[in-house]
Amino acid sequence: MNSENLHLEGASFLKQQNEGLYEPAGSKATGEAAVRSTDKNRVITGAIPYWQDWREQARDIKRHAVANLDKLLVEFERNIAARGATVLWAETAEEANRMVIDIAREHDVRSVVKGKSMVTEEMELNRSLQAAGIRTVETDLGEYIVQLAKQRPTHIVTPALHLSAEEVGRLFHEKLDEPFTSEHQQLTDIARRHLREEFISADMGMSGCNFAIADTGTMAIVENEGNVGLSTSTPPIHVATIGIEKVIPSIHYLPVFLQLLARVGTGQSLTSYTHLIHGTTPGKKLYIILLDNGRTRILRDPAAHNALTCIRCGMCLNVCPVYRRAGGWAYGWVYPGPIGSIISPHLVGMKQAGTLPFASSLCGACSEVCPVKIDIPHQLVHLRHRAVCEPSPANSILDRLTWRAWAWAMSGPRRYKLAMWAVRVGVRAAGVIPQCLHVDKLRAWTRGRELPKVPGPAFRKWWKRQRP
Amino acid sequence: MSSRDNILQRIRTELRKAPAPEQPPVPEVWPRMNPSSEQLVEQFTTALEQVDGEVIRCGSMEEARRKVTELAEQLDAKPVGAVDCPACRDLLSDFPADRVAWTRDGWDPKQMAQLPAGLVAAELLLADTGTCVVVNDTAEQRLMCYLPPVCLVVARVDRLFEHMPAAWEEIARRTAEPQQRGEFVFITGPSRTADIEKILILGVHGPRRLMVILVG
Repeated sequence: MNSENLHLEGASFLKQQNEGLYEPAGSKATGEAAVRSTDKNRVITGAIPYWQDWREQARDIKRHAVANLDKLLVEFERNIAARGATVLWAETAEEANRMVIDIAREHDVRSVVKGKSMVTEEMELNRSLQAAGIRTVETDLGEYIVQLAKQRPTHIVTPALHLSAEEVGRLFHEKLDEPFTSEHQQLTDIARRHLREEFISADMGMSGCNFAIADTGTMAIVENEGNVGLSTSTPPIHVATIGIEKVIPSIHYLPVFLQLLARVGTGQSLTSYTHLIHGTTPGKKLYIILLDNGRTRILRDPAAHNALTCIRCGMCLNVCPVYRRAGGWAYGWVYPGPIGSIISPHLVGMKQAGTLPFASSLCGACSEVCPVKIDIPHQLVHLRHRAVCEPSPANSILDRLTWRAWAWAMSGPRRYKLAMWAVRVGVRAAGVIPQCLHVDKLRAWTRGRELPKVPGPAFRKWWKRQRP
Repeated sequence: MSSRDNILQRIRTELRKAPAPEQPPVPEVWPRMNPSSEQLVEQFTTALEQVDGEVIRCGSMEEARRKVTELAEQLDAKPVGAVDCPACRDLLSDFPADRVAWTRDGWDPKQMAQLPAGLVAAELLLADTGTCVVVNDTAEQRLMCYLPPVCLVVARVDRLFEHMPAAWEEIARRTAEPQQRGEFVFITGPSRTADIEKILILGVHGPRRLMVILVG
């Protein structure tokens, strides 16, 4: 797959990040919601004496699963196929999209209803299906709003976190020809009415999967709205797309994950609906697409294996001081926040996402809350190391020259003196030159910040004066 | 080589380098307290009400039949949709035939969406979260849980478990049965969303009301 297609159109990471930082109205809703979620989470998890045990148990189970990925995938395939599912394997997003289109064509599908799935975001499935002349409708309310607005989700659990009720009301007025309202209940009713029609007339339904259970061949899917239940039972065909890292060894391990996921994801003790789907129902067809799309590249780097244990709860986004200010789009790809910074560089490549690991203060709030205890700050540092050793934007000629010049300047007193003089002159000059003339990299910094004032005499000069 | 072979080959090559951790033990999750059945009912009711569900407690099947008749009147449910299973048949045995729409193969979802209420039977209940575990073998049974605006669930008090781990032995055994198809759905309250400004709204795609008729 050409990973260039995967990036948000026209959004280089740095630019998007700056825009997020620069438009407080845009990121305010995101930030406030994230803070509320974090506070709620602290109360919920603090009340459970077993919370830390669960995290350790979940971490151990997921690590064990990653270490046995090949065996577990084959076991899952065998068991769910025995219950009537057709299992397909896709190496790339492109291949997976082709499979979905082939299934759709084979069954003469004209419209598809979709439950929320980050994997299909990753595949850009909607665009591919549209190009093939197949109508797709996102049915999760947040995803539906984002799809109508022709935008991307800003959060992996609550996709339309950045839009106010008024904005949603205007959108529904414009796109669905409904009278304007900013009432939450009325907005939800409008979506319900429109999507009911879609569910009932759809020829195919799609979903993701939270846990693929190897020993029984079961898919566990959690949701609150009922749209996954409807997407997977109303149309005659159900296609589930699953990242290969979603497999866990046994049904016996599921309870600990269900206890963790709802509490960190949405602050509930269980989501309204938890589906354990095993195989087809009479008269219906079930297809499973197991997708690699760069996940085996993570396996190639043993220090990065833990990134594959993520259960996509979204909590690391909520606690992250960078995400709270910058919002989801700033990360330039479908997975935002700390988890995005450690998986996107693997999935889309260092060349595209090499700057992501640097967009962190390494404060560690993410790994404090991660339900599977991923060592996110360590992963970030590891990726920073890789980003400056491999072809990446963090390893550009300008960066290399800068560091070489720094090393040169630091390796002799005279050179150091010269460099310090150059800095003083440079900072003064940058203050005088109008901001619009600043070169791109400098402007990214000076646009939102004041230049420091050059202090009085340099220390060395002052020191000399003290001891004549 | 197929994509399947390529993916598995890559995984095997990379995993050979990494040491495999031991298989972790099955977590206990919550300790067993073995509360009395009255405590379980109380726990279940509190938990379900917290997530905006309703509990209709009935001491006997006769009482349940009477209450469900009243309820159908109140909801103006003519007819009530119901899953064709012994528990639902039993509960609706007083209903005239034209007042019940039983699930049958090939039922049109469009018709099902018109039903004012749907009755399903829960096989297990989890007290700590107020959860009903419903086993759906067919698509029609599944739709009965999600399409009508009111979801009625009939369940017996002796099927109450204190929490998910206590019920898991039975759930795990049944999901492992090779002839098992369809889904087990854990229903905890009515359909809900907080996707617009994180404000909670009930009944976005699924039922707005969830009423559990607890018998025994």
